[in-house]
Amino acid sequence: MKTKQLLAMILAGMMTATAFAGCGGGGGTDQPSGDGGDGGDGGNSTALEVKENAIVDESVFGDEDNITLKVWAPEKAVDLTKKQIEDFKAAYPGKTFTNIEVVIQGEDSAATQILNDAEQAADVFGFASDQLNKLTDAGVIQEVAFVDYVTKTNVAETVTSATVNGKLYAFPETNDNGYYLVYDKSVVSDEQAKTLEGILEGCKAAGRKFIFDSGSPFFACTYAFTAGVKIDGFEEDGETQKFVDYDEDEAVATLQAFSKLMHDYKGTYASLGAAQIASGFSTGTCGAGVDGSWNTVPDQKALGDNYGAAKLPTINVNGTDKQLISMFGYKYIGVNAFSKFPRSAQILALYLTGDKCQKERTEEVGWGPSNLKVAGDEVVTSSPTLQAITAQAQNAVPQVNIAPTLWDPMGNLGNKLIADETDPTDTEFFRSLLKETIVNVKDEA
Amino acid sequence: MIKSYKLRRNIANAIIYVILAIMGIIWVSPFAYLLMHSFRAEGLITVNYLIPHEWTFQNYIDLFTVKGSLNFPRWLLNTFVVALFSCVICTISVLAVSYTFSRLRFKARKKLMNVGMILGMFPGFMTMIAIYYLLKAMGLDRNLVALVICYSSGAGLGFQISKGFFDTIPRALDEAATIDGANKNQIFWKIILPMSAPIIVYTVLTSFIGPWCDFILARIIMGDRRDLYTVAIGLFDMKSEEFINTYYKQFLAGSVIVAIPITTLFMIMQKYYVEGVTAGGVKG
Repeated sequence: MKTKQLLAMILAGMMTATAFAGCGGGGGTDQPSGDGGDGGDGGNSTALEVKENAIVDESVFGDEDNITLKVWAPEKAVDLTKKQIEDFKAAYPGKTFTNIEVVIQGEDSAATQILNDAEQAADVFGFASDQLNKLTDAGVIQEVAFVDYVTKTNVAETVTSATVNGKLYAFPETNDNGYYLVYDKSVVSDEQAKTLEGILEGCKAAGRKFIFDSGSPFFACTYAFTAGVKIDGFEEDGETQKFVDYDEDEAVATLQAFSKLMHDYKGTYASLGAAQIASGFSTGTCGAGVDGSWNTVPDQKALGDNYGAAKLPTINVNGTDKQLISMFGYKYIGVNAFSKFPRSAQILALYLTGDKCQKERTEEVGWGPSNLKVAGDEVVTSSPTLQAITAQAQNAVPQVNIAPTLWDPMGNLGNKLIADETDPTDTEFFRSLLKETIVNVKDEA
Repeated sequence: MIKSYKLRRNIANAIIYVILAIMGIIWVSPFAYLLMHSFRAEGLITVNYLIPHEWTFQNYIDLFTVKGSLNFPRWLLNTFVVALFSCVICTISVLAVSYTFSRLRFKARKKLMNVGMILGMFPGFMTMIAIYYLLKAMGLDRNLVALVICYSSGAGLGFQISKGFFDTIPRALDEAATIDGANKNQIFWKIILPMSAPIIVYTVLTSFIGPWCDFILARIIMGDRRDLYTVAIGLFDMKSEEFINTYYKQFLAGSVIVAIPITTLFMIMQKYYVEGVTAGGVKG
């Protein structure tokens, strides 16, 4: 009996040990980013000359030839990316490209997939700005070799948001990853769409809903930001969220104003997932909504000629109209630090984010460009959606340097504002709610 | 106090049936919702009413006409192939291990059974990172073979129930066969197996269902190889932020389709299944 117990214990011990060894092994292979990182300097100087259409001299490839690369692109952009890669190959006739493969991978989960196994991941990948810290922390993303060119040609915010500790890590691809107002023109007039009160009035009169996902932190942080409680990177410890200075009385009054509208227009102001907006347009239950740029196509399809887009509205707080401030992100293309062809990967990423490719993407997929030249182009200025997105970008907090503790308290704040039991006239409640939210975000509790 | 026994019984029965009916409705409602809304024509994602206004087959047609990267027919085929192979391997190994532990007597028998029991207590996904890197070292990552290996290699550890069943078959039969000149191998195939239909069916069912439900291992092994996805990961992908507005109703239809092979198998083998589960528990 004794020996059996002993045996069982030893075995259990061994099992646990192997389990840990497994994890250690997994983590270990991710570590040696050193040699991959060297590739980042492959371009060697920041003063590399970039010619028209983001083409460089073939000497930049160094001794890389018979190039094999894998590119991750979201489903919407796959066909276009394939075409662009053919153009890329044609632009470098002196090089042999054995295979440049385009694999579908959503930008929302690119970081997760890379951290799974960086060696098997794509050399060149698209991702959303909120994942940048994850990627740099794990050392799986290469520094950008063409800093000067990228800085010069892109919207400044997109570049600063991709810079960590003074180093630029990603090529800006779009300047559009945020949310804005979409509305059914037969329900809400263009004039009404300028104020939250007008939108709600229009929707209520038509018996339609106004959808704003108050429980989703990404959307709900609008309430805090509009109230003046904006985030401003990290404190000195590098992990606690920092806030700008704000006027507490005004912040409380703004939150109260939101809550009052939610309660006054109960049944109209609906806190539902953003994906419900397009669905609601198609069934005639939704009149307007705050929707993400990723849903533009279904929204347009559902509304047809009645499709209206604008920046977020204003809200009236004690007689003054305040613009709603949103959270706003960008999309980037990054280069894998484990790439076997680091120079080629850099050159391809540069090309894909260059003005020519960005313009094609705007024209064919409707993405808002980060390239300054394309941003002023007629394709952008003539599109109401892109105009709305650009206008909102100027009233937004960039989605970078976000502490993981920001999200839950923001969602909680939104849920409390709209909750039935909340009394919009109870100023003290909102004061304590605001304090509680800040404490929770800073994780001081 | 009600005197009449009949009345009391009827009242008790009525209460029990009402409770059971309510529970039944609650239990069935998600399936009813799934089935009805997989035929819904209007709306893009969820709607706030139960009965669809317009009915259509379009969701099913769309599901099987592939556009873009969401290739449901291929995923169905992948899953079916993986399930088939792991089912065969699992069944053979489970039955062989059970037979060994039930009939053969060797020195480490008890100890090995305990070891098997302890190992079986650890969930498979606990070692998923290690498994992934092992498979990668063997060049088997992103590969359907890897899935078959994962699902079937540990199967022998689930021997307890079928061993229990084999223990109930009288050893006198083995002895009679031995006298007639049969060896252990022949006894297994010719004597024991033909009498073990219920437990075979039970093993087949459980090992066939595994690959349809597993999400974690398949996800980590397949990475970005979308063409090699199984239905579990594929369906999950359909309701990701990127696809939900386009594919939600197809996702519902896909969920219904996935249920069909498993349900069919269950219906055919149901009779034995119950026998197998209970018979295995008779003598442990």
